[in-house]
Amino acid sequence: MTLSDREFEKFREFFYRKTGIFFPDTKKKFVEKRLLARMKATGHESFRSYFNFVRFQRSGEELQELTNALTVNETYFFREKYQFESLVENVLDEVLEYKEDNEPIRIWSIPCASGEEPYSIAIYLLEYWPRIDEVDVEIIASDIDTNVLEKARKGIYNLRSVKNLPKHILRKYFKRLSGDRYEIIDDLKEAIDFRQLNLFDYRENKKYRYIDVIFCRNMLIYFDDESRLKAAQIFYDSLNPGGFIFLGHSESMSRICSLFKVRKFKQGIVYQKPL
Amino acid sequence: MGLKKRTQREEQKREEKRAIKRDLDGLITQLQRGDRVQRRWAARDLAQYGEEAIDPLCSRLEKETDPAVQEAILSSLMEIKRPPIGERLIPLLRSDDAGLRNRVIEALQSMPELVESHVDELLGDPDPDMRIFAINIIQWVKHPDVPKWLLEVIKRDEHINVVGTALDALTDIATEDMKEDILRVKERFDDPYIHFVVDEIIKGLS
Repeated sequence: MTLSDREFEKFREFFYRKTGIFFPDTKKKFVEKRLLARMKATGHESFRSYFNFVRFQRSGEELQELTNALTVNETYFFREKYQFESLVENVLDEVLEYKEDNEPIRIWSIPCASGEEPYSIAIYLLEYWPRIDEVDVEIIASDIDTNVLEKARKGIYNLRSVKNLPKHILRKYFKRLSGDRYEIIDDLKEAIDFRQLNLFDYRENKKYRYIDVIFCRNMLIYFDDESRLKAAQIFYDSLNPGGFIFLGHSESMSRICSLFKVRKFKQGIVYQKPL
Repeated sequence: MGLKKRTQREEQKREEKRAIKRDLDGLITQLQRGDRVQRRWAARDLAQYGEEAIDPLCSRLEKETDPAVQEAILSSLMEIKRPPIGERLIPLLRSDDAGLRNRVIEALQSMPELVESHVDELLGDPDPDMRIFAINIIQWVKHPDVPKWLLEVIKRDEHINVVGTALDALTDIATEDMKEDILRVKERFDDPYIHFVVDEIIKGLS
């Protein structure tokens, strides 16, 4: 069985509307394979019958299963590095325009998982942002899972995680351990503020305020519509006016919440809380 | 300068600076009289009071013009999710504020349990615009009866734009057993657009 072009279009429009993830034509085979597998798993023989099932199922469980099947969550250093380039080339300079003198810039990485993202941000700032010597930057990294936070604090990674790093960066910011493992240097470990957070804990999320830049990549896709909107609202309130939020490359804030401005930079789209 | 961690003292100082009493009465007052940032935070914090917060939130939404505050109010109502909310939100579909109307549509879409009991009332509204909004809402509601509701519209509604909207919504989800009812719409409306959509749906079925 295959997916017709019309069915693919119909499906991708629906999936985009629900998750903000858009599949270009080149991804048709990828989508088809996973969609057919889910159809088989749920006992649906035609696309139309499965489509109606996913679309109107009250619990939304199948949409979640499908989302899991269609998203690959792999984390490594400098993943989607064009966003870090955008941070140091465009975003931070704009942030400085609204900051008062001597006020630190606050960057929040959520979910930080085992730490690759916040450490990547730190390295990018130190290596590629010339004004790092003039300005204080705080990096807060949070995740709901205390096990991954512990791993992040330890900062030990395998070769696969560091495969994208240039050699000079690997030498400068990591200590090589036995068995092709690499440990982040202590200065960097101490510079990141790792914290456990359940984003929807009303009392906890209120502590995240006056943030200038949020990195929230590939998390919202795992939420249902309601939680996604709620998360977007929490981010909106945690940001300073003029602050920015980076989402995963296939995610779209415009599908979730209309409060953010879309900013197009050379490296891609970033969302901004209006000033 | 460079990377640094905020000390606990700095964190506390900032917390102390904004510590104000945020009980139910205090939040309602802020929602009614605060500036836009205070109104938004009050709306957000009121969600924890559940049913008690429905009336103040809905009353504020009826006159609120700031989109960010409207969003926060709707988000809290979506969290509270109790029956009176549907009754209070539906009249806002007649608002002149298009942004508010769209936000209300989106909020209702995410509360199928509250929409369900209003479907007949919405689809039977004398105003065709309201019936179109109703279709906009139900077509994205996660409810197994959606195709059935839309089918009823194309069978009974007299207004061409309402039927056209329902047909559009059915394009992706119509099933073989609806074929005859869909074809019958062509007999009721001699209109090129309606005929085109019907043909498209039938093509999709085969």
